[in-house]
Amino acid sequence: MTVLLELKNTSVFYGKVRATSSVSISVPEGQIITLIGSNGAGKSTTLRMISGLERPQEGDVLFEGQSILSLPPEKITGIGIAHVPEGRRVFSQMTVMENLEMGAYLRSESKEMARNLDLVFSHFPRLKERVGQYAGTMSGGEQQMLAMGRALMSNPKLILMDEPTLGLSPIMCQEIAGIIKEINGNGRTIVLVEQNARLALALAHYGYVLDTGEVVIEGAADKLRENGDIQKTYLGLD
Amino acid sequence: MLKFNLSNHLLVGSLVVIVFFVVAPNLVSAYRLELLTIFLINVILAQSYRLMATTGDWTLCHYILMGVGAYATGVLAKMAGLPFYVVMPMACVVTAFVSLLFAIPLSRTLGFAFFIASFALGEFVRHVWLKFHYPFGGARGINGIPKLEIGQGGEWYFIDFWDSQNFYYFTLIFTILALMILFRIDRSRLGNAWKSIYSDRELSESIGIDVAKSRIMVFCVSGFLAGLAGSLLAYQIGSIDPHNFEMVEMVYLIIWCVVGGVKTFWGPLIGVLSMSVVFELTRPLAEWRPALFGLILILFLVLLPGGLETLPARIRAMLNKTSKQREAG
Amino acid sequence: MGVDTIVQTFTNALVLGSIYAMVAVGLAIAFGVMQMANFAHGELFMAGSYVVFTLYTLVGIPFLIAVILAFPIVAAIGMVFERLIFRPTRGNVLAGFMATAGAGFILQVLVGQQWGVGLMRSIQTPYPGSTEILGAAISYQRLLIFPATVVMVSGLWYFLTRVKHGKALRACAQDPEAAVLQGISLNKMTSLAMLLSGGFAGVGGALMAPIIPVTPYMGHTFAVTAFIIVIVGGMASIEGAVIAAFILGFIHTIVTTMYDSVTATMVGVFFMALVLIVKPTGLMGRVKV
Ligand SMILES: Nc1ncnc2c1ncn2[C@@H]1O[C@H](COP(=O)(O)OP(=O)(O)O)[C@@H](O)[C@H]1O
Ligand SMILES: [Mg+2]
Repeated sequence: MTVLLELKNTSVFYGKVRATSSVSISVPEGQIITLIGSNGAGKSTTLRMISGLERPQEGDVLFEGQSILSLPPEKITGIGIAHVPEGRRVFSQMTVMENLEMGAYLRSESKEMARNLDLVFSHFPRLKERVGQYAGTMSGGEQQMLAMGRALMSNPKLILMDEPTLGLSPIMCQEIAGIIKEINGNGRTIVLVEQNARLALALAHYGYVLDTGEVVIEGAADKLRENGDIQKTYLGLD
Repeated sequence: MLKFNLSNHLLVGSLVVIVFFVVAPNLVSAYRLELLTIFLINVILAQSYRLMATTGDWTLCHYILMGVGAYATGVLAKMAGLPFYVVMPMACVVTAFVSLLFAIPLSRTLGFAFFIASFALGEFVRHVWLKFHYPFGGARGINGIPKLEIGQGGEWYFIDFWDSQNFYYFTLIFTILALMILFRIDRSRLGNAWKSIYSDRELSESIGIDVAKSRIMVFCVSGFLAGLAGSLLAYQIGSIDPHNFEMVEMVYLIIWCVVGGVKTFWGPLIGVLSMSVVFELTRPLAEWRPALFGLILILFLVLLPGGLETLPARIRAMLNKTSKQREAG
Repeated sequence: MGVDTIVQTFTNALVLGSIYAMVAVGLAIAFGVMQMANFAHGELFMAGSYVVFTLYTLVGIPFLIAVILAFPIVAAIGMVFERLIFRPTRGNVLAGFMATAGAGFILQVLVGQQWGVGLMRSIQTPYPGSTEILGAAISYQRLLIFPATVVMVSGLWYFLTRVKHGKALRACAQDPEAAVLQGISLNKMTSLAMLLSGGFAGVGGALMAPIIPVTPYMGHTFAVTAFIIVIVGGMASIEGAVIAAFILGFIHTIVTTMYDSVTATMVGVFFMALVLIVKPTGLMGRVKV
């Protein structure tokens, strides 16, 4: 199995404050990898570092075997890493269609664009009905779909998703979860960050548990689900 | 090694500076003396501006406030014929009051909006001077402001401040007074509270500082001292008009504070001093000079944000880094 | 007040509002993208006037072509500002703003040294004569400004809503980080914003060159008004800037007709203070670019 993305002992600081320390993660092609952990554990920081929004002071990030540390974030998008940020961050004063076009900013050749658009609409038929609507007027779940659709528009090899189900109704969570599975089924690799560990471990192949910036446990998702510590701490079971 | 007590250090340093300024009139030409007087007025102005900046509120109307002090002086001294010891305190109070009128709406805004809105209010006042010939003299301003004197010719205690040297000492006394007040404020609990507004507004709210009220208060104190600077200026040049208080002057004030820095009490002093020296040395540049100052402003903001006052710390950090690298390498 | 005075005042206001709009829109674009506040916007306007003075009066190129050329020339100056000032001071609005004050000094001096300090340059109007509407005489030169503004602002609107890079600019104004994650380069966008900002200021100055006194210091009053306008309009809002430009154009013209221009400026400033106190975010403070 080829490794698509690899983090080697990465540490990120905000000023003098250490947010993550010596995080090593390996993401095999075609899988869903999840990072779970409580609030402030460093999950978002790790994703932001992968997409170049934060720079690690230590360690290295390899994508397809090459270090991407020297690339600015917009170039990292260009090499096939899409990031669905925490809180969705859709362009609220732009229409659904415009948001999707922005996702395809680097892939705007019309044939490819049409193909990606079809793909997005096949995953999210709801977006198709609303192409002219302003993103800011949509519900949280719809905005999440838009954010994911926008990421797909760049036809990425790897998608980073930061808490896609945060603040959504249970039904909407399920729907989003199904779509994540679907997207992965189409051969796309996903790094999924979730506080909802139960859902994340149900979706993922392999998981890492972060605590105060460090990887404390890692393992196959079904093993982690059976792990007593994790059940206690993250799954709310006794 | 001798261990220096910081406050002793300061005391000695200040004394040396004061002695210099006291003997200066005997060392320099009359023309230089006028420049020194203006320098002292600028020190008051820059230092009072820094007080505002400690709360994070940079304004674009400080020069106008100085103008308010100057105009108040002109009106009271010339039209009302009042003596300086009535005029000057009144000018300061009037300026503080105008500051209050500015500060109340301004305290609703923050950052850039504050900066621009203060500019607009200042322009409003400047247009008031332009518009009302009585009592402000319109575009021509107020000329022939009565000279400053104590007593009358012939009396034994008569002092004529038309004399450059006398006026210089007069200004020096007020400068020292103003600096002492500002220094005390800077080191006081009140001063620290004001500074905390800059570093963390919400935190200061939560520890019981009334941020809006404090900002208004700082504005008024700062305005009071700007009024003092304006009053001195009016007496020194004897005539004022709206062109004395244009935006360009404000930009020079900003240059002093940017070059020196505003975090410490010494920043603006370093700024005014170094820029006054540069200003004098570059007289031959004539019309190119504004471009030089523009360039200085850009270079400092881009390459040395924080100003000269941060230079020692920067150099130290750099030396540390290189020595560490050497150790490692 | 006769019909002719009313028509005259109305057209004057329309013309003044147009030119304000052209200048203020540029400020709003730049502020919308990464909060670039350009103190020297008035100097860019002035540069536009000098482009017309040089190319049209001195070289003899047709007026309209000189006006069109003012766009790329002044846009280039705007892009230099971006590269040398706004980019290194990104994240600190005041620093960029103050530094551009320095840049304004430099432009004034350069222009003054090249073409004379304080000397008013007279530029012959290429469109002499005037038309009469209901008894009011309106010169062609002034009349040109309104359609020019309509064309420019519509062009901008088209660019921002129909063209990929224009949309990217809006995306950047709304959420720079999310924009970067789509592969949009912030540096390119800030550069583009300053290109447009400079271009608009330049064309504004170019169109006004035959109408107002051309000196190195002419930009100041326009910049002051433009800043008042964008604040009233809500800083980063282009719609807000256009609306506020016409409001202030009308206020200024009416007060000038009834009293004088000093009073008009005072009323304008007062209006701005009022807006800030009542609604600190400006008229359209919520709607960005
Ligand atoms: N911009 C920032 N500045 C300073 N500290 C930050 C910043 N963002 C996050 N942190 C800190 O870094 C740590 C990790 O945060 P984050 O990665 O957001 O955690 P998670 O996504 O797991 O909730 C936390 O302690 C948080 O307070
Ligand atoms: Mg997070």
